[in-house]
Amino acid sequence: MAKEKIQVDFRFRDKLNKVQGGKHHNYCYQCSACVAVCPAARFTEEFNPRVILLKALLGMEEALTGEDSPIWLCTNCYSCYERCPQDVRPIEVIIALKNMAVQRQKAPASLAKLSDNIAKTGVSVTVTSAVNRRRQELGLPPIKTIPIEELKEILEDPQGAAKDSE
Amino acid sequence: MPLKYPQMELAIRKTLPNLGIELVDIDGFTCCPDPIYFKARDKIKWLTIAARNLAIVEEKGLDVITMCSGCISTLKEAKYTLDEDPQAKEEVNRRLRKVNREYKGTAKINHAVVLIRDSLGLDVVKKSIKRPLEGVTVAIHYGCHILKPSQIMHVDDADYPSILDDFVSAMGATPLDHKEKLLCCGKGCMDEDLPLEMTETIFASIEESGADCMGLVCPTCFSSFDLGQIMISRKKGKTYNIPVIYLFQLLGLAQGLEPEQVGLHTHRVKADRVLEKIKGSAKV
Repeated sequence: MAKEKIQVDFRFRDKLNKVQGGKHHNYCYQCSACVAVCPAARFTEEFNPRVILLKALLGMEEALTGEDSPIWLCTNCYSCYERCPQDVRPIEVIIALKNMAVQRQKAPASLAKLSDNIAKTGVSVTVTSAVNRRRQELGLPPIKTIPIEELKEILEDPQGAAKDSE
Repeated sequence: MPLKYPQMELAIRKTLPNLGIELVDIDGFTCCPDPIYFKARDKIKWLTIAARNLAIVEEKGLDVITMCSGCISTLKEAKYTLDEDPQAKEEVNRRLRKVNREYKGTAKINHAVVLIRDSLGLDVVKKSIKRPLEGVTVAIHYGCHILKPSQIMHVDDADYPSILDDFVSAMGATPLDHKEKLLCCGKGCMDEDLPLEMTETIFASIEESGADCMGLVCPTCFSSFDLGQIMISRKKGKTYNIPVIYLFQLLGLAQGLEPEQVGLHTHRVKADRVLEKIKGSAKV
């Protein structure tokens, strides 16, 4: 079999290094301890944290942060972080890759739906009259007012900051 | 939790004072935020919101307890990350300075169940019991976020935890082991089928154990299992009928409260099996 030439995209790895939590991908020695404890890997062959780390080491940007990336199948259970002998913290590398996919506008549409509320209202769930009624029925105090202006100010991106890091 | 599962907040407010804990509601707090979706969008902003909440607690000189595994996960991981990564801390504090706040890292963060074990001791729980839950068997679902990663959480051995078993035992109930006690509920996975397969695996394991109910401390897991049972019966035609009880609701029952006083009537899967068993149990 002819040897295939493997090219590593260090440009992508440099970018990953700069995203909080991404740098630890460099420590991975491909031992698969993460796979053994990963519940997503137990239930589907589509998700394998070792392979995700291998692709990160090779710098495979599109496979990891493109539209069909398997990273969104991660259950966020932290078992890989618990088990990894190299302190790779695979879940945090996956979160860094998710952040990069969001920057490229390649995240699943459902992500916005699940997370839009916090930046806009300060709470994850929409406060409806039904919620307030249920609280009243249970004898609970009303929901406290959330300082939305303060929240907006701290979430504001620095002026001139590029939306897309590319 | 105050919005989606106010019955859990109710249970906390009713049971903790019986243990001698005074609860103070803090003005200005936002959602922690959640440790999955908002973090996946922008970790620095996720850290910023968490740090703002912690800064408010620090200003008051208080410690913070959460009722939720997701909240404890976010707040503890944010603290760990900010204390470890000076660059992230500087960026977060640059943002907080705009609203005259600063994250220092001085507040202690605990889940209510950890505070009870470590600061009060389980004897205090035992002393608060008026109706021991004798004969009630509980299959515990630990949930991932209160345990892992243990280098951040410092709650228990992540592979052989006992904190929730001991809590349930202190109420007079019997924790039952089952094969999938530590399996993730799957909620954080952004897929339609995978989470259901995982919850069903857990239900089958609990059914085999013969437990009267499932006990947990995480509202996200609760949603996977309470609403999740309806989804599974719709999609797969299998009905499990396993009541899912937040452990502070169970504590409320043991402290002599009625099921409605801890909001058990709001659950989709009714806890009749458990209530039947404690009906005969004399209040002491």
